[in-house]
Formats: sequence, structure tokens, C-alpha cells
Amino acid sequence: MSDATEPTGADDLADDGLFERYSSRTLFAGATVAAVLALLVAGALFPNTLAGTLASVLTSENTLASALRLSVPIAFAALGGIFAEKSGVINIGLEGLLIISAFGAVYVTEVTGGVWLGFVGGVIASTLLAGVFAVVTIKFRADQIIAGLAVWLIALGLAPFASQVIYSSPNTPTVPTTGSITVPVLADLPFFGALFSASPSVYLLFAAVFCSWYVFERTAFGRWIRASGENPKALDTAGVSVTQVRYAAVLISGVLAGMGGAALSLDLGQFTGNGPTMVNGKGFIAIVAYLFGNYNPIGAFLSTMLFAGLDAVQTVLQLQGIGIPRQLIRITPFVVVILVLALVGRTRLPEAAGEHYDTEE
Amino acid sequence: MSVADRARDALARLVDASATERILISSAALVLSVLIGAVLVLVAGRMTTCSPSEAVYYFGTGFCYDPIVVFDRLFLGALGDPFSGGWSPDGQFAVTLRETTLLVFTGLSVALAFRAGIFNIGTQGQMVVGALATALGVLWASAFVSGVVGTVVLIPFGILVGATFGGLYGAVPGVLKAYADANEVITTIMLNFIATGVALYLVSGVFKDPDSAANQTVPLAEFAQFPAVLFGARQNFSLVALAFGLIAIAALYYVLEHTAFGYDVRTSGVQPEAAEYGGVDAKRTIVASLTLSGALGGIAGAMYVMMVLGTFQTGIPAYGFDGITVSILAGNNPLGVGVAALLFGVLKSGTTVVQFATDVPPQLVGVLRGLIILFVAMPEFFRLLAKGLPGAGSKPEAVATDGGTVTENGGGADE
Repeated sequence: MSDATEPTGADDLADDGLFERYSSRTLFAGATVAAVLALLVAGALFPNTLAGTLASVLTSENTLASALRLSVPIAFAALGGIFAEKSGVINIGLEGLLIISAFGAVYVTEVTGGVWLGFVGGVIASTLLAGVFAVVTIKFRADQIIAGLAVWLIALGLAPFASQVIYSSPNTPTVPTTGSITVPVLADLPFFGALFSASPSVYLLFAAVFCSWYVFERTAFGRWIRASGENPKALDTAGVSVTQVRYAAVLISGVLAGMGGAALSLDLGQFTGNGPTMVNGKGFIAIVAYLFGNYNPIGAFLSTMLFAGLDAVQTVLQLQGIGIPRQLIRITPFVVVILVLALVGRTRLPEAAGEHYDTEE
Repeated sequence: MSVADRARDALARLVDASATERILISSAALVLSVLIGAVLVLVAGRMTTCSPSEAVYYFGTGFCYDPIVVFDRLFLGALGDPFSGGWSPDGQFAVTLRETTLLVFTGLSVALAFRAGIFNIGTQGQMVVGALATALGVLWASAFVSGVVGTVVLIPFGILVGATFGGLYGAVPGVLKAYADANEVITTIMLNFIATGVALYLVSGVFKDPDSAANQTVPLAEFAQFPAVLFGARQNFSLVALAFGLIAIAALYYVLEHTAFGYDVRTSGVQPEAAEYGGVDAKRTIVASLTLSGALGGIAGAMYVMMVLGTFQTGIPAYGFDGITVSILAGNNPLGVGVAALLFGVLKSGTTVVQFATDVPPQLVGVLRGLIILFVAMPEFFRLLAKGLPGAGSKPEAVATDGGTVTENGGGADE
């Protein structure tokens, strides 16, 4: 039986380096900005060099557009991860939630013919799986990491299995996509025009980032979630059920990740289920994104943009052929994730994250 | 009632008896997963189409897939159909043992890290690195020896190369965790992607076999591969490799239970603060156990190259992830890994039989893998199941350490 008040020890070690960690995070963000600026200046001075190519790629409107597109599933999953982990449940199964909703969305779209019905279908699929995860970890006190891995592996098997049963192939046929919304005039702005001519899911993401921020900063529910992860006993004493707050938070993480997965597959109009599926590690990158964003929805979104921006740049570079082999450019986001993690180091987990809490009468 | 009583007793024992607890939980998890798998097969059978004559009928409803056939093929098929005659040492059973051999190594790799309190999700990547290194190393060394001498020299050499490179690749997340506090779950998963990417780059470029359309290295000479002993020549299985696996099980068991290093690993896993207080160098233990874990993953890669493929090819099957299941199923005990690996070897080898005999997609086993992990992770589920059966009497009050009692609130208990 786990004891909610038991100190985990590791947290004691984490206390003395708060300032240091904060500064290493700032340092990294600062270094990134400085590097980008230096690159832009170098690119402007020497347009015919590698720096010139990179600079033109970075300032291209297409790069921003595809960075936004790529960041949608990651940022949604990251927001979901923040809700779950702030409440004290580490949801490492985000990848699985993305996979199941990506498939669910395409399946429902294919059956009903309605893209937004499909979107809802994907969200429901992900929420159901998150519900199972919630029951398993909260009621049956399963180890959160192992249960999260199980969620990932189940979805990794289930989605291609279902696709194979229904469509005789791990890849689904193509369905209509969510299309895009263009704001007149604003869409013609240089570079930032990409913000105003994007898929509806991009706008949904902006809304979700703002709402999540609002919930955590301005509402009682947000405070309950924080308390449930930091000091469940206090929350309990205040008369709020820790269990219910955690259930709610995990289900919200399912809804948010589901929106990400549905947006991912409906953006392309297809689910591809070979190997690691079309989700291909985005759920794990999401975890790093919110750790790097220090559990702040806006921070998580910005760090997602960093990873997605890299991914967008590498895609363009692959097409331009700058002499670096395609296969190596493709792994840059993963390498950056490791570098970020190594530089940022231990993030301060919510005090009671990963621990089961027994409600007191 | 007596059936329910017995079931309840069994389940109660399943939770309480510490010695057999693990085995019972693992078996229950397995049975439950197979049952859910059967339901899944039935549901899938409703969602696909087939002619009425192909369908099977249960409860007056037609299904396109028959779970009984599926699990009959999965288990008996994997054993080479011992009850219907025609069993041959070159048949499906050799495939099962081949898979078992590989799973022993990946399972041990995960188990060792788990015992040190580290989630090594990167066994897959370590296996890829070990496999590629072995293929290239043995290819290089094949020039100097040949014949029986070649086999005797090259196989240990290949294993050593695989272990070294797998170990080095395992040391990376170890160093990152010990000295930069980077979460090993994330770094190892990222390193898996990186290993696959770099291997693809190398094998489609510099080290590509010019005579092959596939992304693979030049095939190894026959003498540089594991010899088939008694059975399995046709199925790429070697009893010698399995023997190595058994030795590895015994060795890891001995190291964990009877050496100072094993003591450090175990105490770090159970009580990291106490271990450090007791003089265990936590950082060194983390790096050492992940290195050793990576080495075992690398050996799995070496075995895969020298026993199964005879070359390195991109797209190595997910033995590393199956190793996680094997280890969790075995309660992270090296001896248990042997049994769990055999069981999972049956599942993996049976998958191909199922694929051959029915139309059920082979991804079913992937789902089973996840379900098994999920159930093994929640012993509490079986405890409540035992309580919930008729005749359980008054609910024993679970004692919370704060003196309060556990209440079961929060809806959504129905799964």
C-alpha cells in the first residue's frame, strides 16, 4: 500500500537546484534565440552559403505553416500530459492516445462521411482509452509508468489490427480532410500570414492552449488539479475528492490528446499503421515539450513549436538537398529532444506525481 | 458456491501468498488477456465480411473469425502440433525456440535495468546497434579465419562485439540519467528512433550489400553463423544459441543474488536513498546497470544476425519491446524470464501459424502484449476481484498508513 505522505527522497535532492535548473532552461531558450538571430544575420550577409539557405528556409511562410501543422498533435498531447501530470498521474501513454484517436477519427469519418463527426469519434476513442488508464492507475493502483506503456502498446497493436480487419491493410483508405480556414487580408501578411491561413485544428489548438492556461491560472478546478499533484492531503482536508479530480484530469488528457490524434490523421485524410504508425513518437516528444515548458500550457506550446519548427526545417532541407543525408536529417528532432532533456535536467515533478493516494474519511 | 469459493480462495492466495504471488498474477493476467483477445477476435469477426459457409456460429450469431481456432493455432501450432503426429524437430517448434532465445536476451536486458529501478525502454535500439556492429565486425573478421575454427572463433567474437556496442549504446542513457538527470524513459525511446535512423543511413549507404535490393549488409559466410544442432536447420534455430541464453539466465541470476554488484543494483532499485546511505555509488550503479542491460540487448542483436538472418537488415522485429513484456511478466526475475520468454516465444511463433491458417491479422499479438502488461501491473485488480466474488464475507478493511481506512469512491469502476 502506498503512502501519500511518504517523502520520495528524490524530491529532496531536487530542492537545492531550483535556481540552477531555471537558469539552464532560460539559457537554452536564450541560446536558441541567439543562434536563430545569428543565422538570420549570416544568411542576409552571405545569401549563397548554407547559412543563407537555412535563413531563407527559416523565414519562409511555408516553414511557419508546416511548423504549426506539425505542432498540432504534439501540443495537444502536451496539454493533455500537463493536466494528468499536474494532478499526480504521469500519463506516459499519450502516444497510445494519439494512435487510437488518429485511427478512430479516420474510421468514423469513413463510416459517416462527416469530417467533424470523425474528429469527435477520435476524441471519444482516446477518452475511452484514457478512462481505462485512469481506472487502472487510480482505482487499481497500477504503476503509472507500466500502465502508460501498456496503453501505448495496446493502441500500437489495436489500431493497425482494426485497420487490417476493416480495410485489409494497416493503412486506411483516404477520407476528406479538415481543409483550412483563411482569414481575408491578414492571410496576405508576409511570414505571419501562415497564422491566418491554417487548418481549423490550428485555431482549435490556440483556443485549447489559452483555455488550459486559463483553467490553471484562474479557476478553482485548476487549483484543485495542482493541489492534487502537489499536496493531495491538503486537498482532501479541504473537502475535495482527490480521486475525482484525478479522474477528471486524466479524462481531460484523453480528450486533448484525442483532439491531437484526430487532427493529425484528418489533416492528411488517412491513417497509416505500419511500424510505429503515423504518430511516430509524437506522444513522447509531447512529454519532453511540457517538461521543457515547465508544465505551463504556453511554455509547452512554445517548446512544441521549437520541435515542430525543427521538423519543418528538416523536411524542407530534405527536399532542397544540402548534402546532409536524408536519413540523418530525419533524426534531428530526436537528438534535440535528448539534448534539451540533458541540458534542462531534472524537471521538478509535482510532489505527489506517480504516487497513489488513499482518500481519508 | 464451491466453485466461487475455490476461485475466491485462489484469488485471495494470488494476492497474499508472497512466494507464488507473482506466478499467479502473471498466469491470471495471461488468461485474462487471452479471454479479452478472444472477445476481440469475435468482435473483429463481426466487422469483416466472409461467405456464410466460412463463418462459425456462437450463440446463434455468425462470426468470420473463430477464437478457438485462433488460439488452437496460436498455442498448439507454435509447439509444432505435438498431438496430431507429424511433429518434427525442423517444424514450428524450432521457430518457437528461436524466438524464445532472442526474447531471453531482451527480457534479461529489461529485467536487469528494472531491478536497478530503471525503465530501459531502449533495448530495441541497443539490439539494433548490437546487430549492426556484429554483422560488420564478423564480416571483417571472416577474412582471417574459416571452417570449424572460424565458427569457434567468430561466434564468441560476434557476441562480444554485439555486447560491447549494445553496452556502449546503453551507457548513453545511463550517463544522461546519472549526470544530467535526464529521464531514461524518454531518452531510451528517443535513442530507439536514432538507432533505427542511423542504421538505415549506414546500411542504405556505406555498408550496403551491392548485390541486394534490400537495405542490408553483405551476408555472413556459413561458418560465421550458429550451427544447427539436432534441430532447426530449416528454421534458423540453433541449440547452441539457446544454450547461451540459459547460461545468461543463470549468470544474471547469480550476479543479482550473490554478488556485491547485484546487491547494489537491487538495493538501488528498491530503496535508492537507503542504498546511497549504505555506501552504494548511485551514479556508477545506474551507468553500470544500463551498460550491462544494453550489452544483453546487443547480444540479442548478435544472435539475430548470426542465427536468424545471417546479415543485418533494416526493420528488426520488435524483440526489444517484447522484452519489456517478458520482463514484467517474469516479475523481473531472471529465472522467470526463461519461462516468460518461452511463453512469449510461443505467442510470436504462433502468430505466423495463425496468419497462415486464418485471416485474423497478426497484430493481435501486439494487442495481447499490451493487455498482459496492463494486467500484470495491477495486482490490486485481482485483490478486488477476490473480494467481489460471492462468499467473500465482510470486506477486510484495507489500512491506510495514515490510520484512515480506504474508501472506494470515484465512479468509473466499471471497465
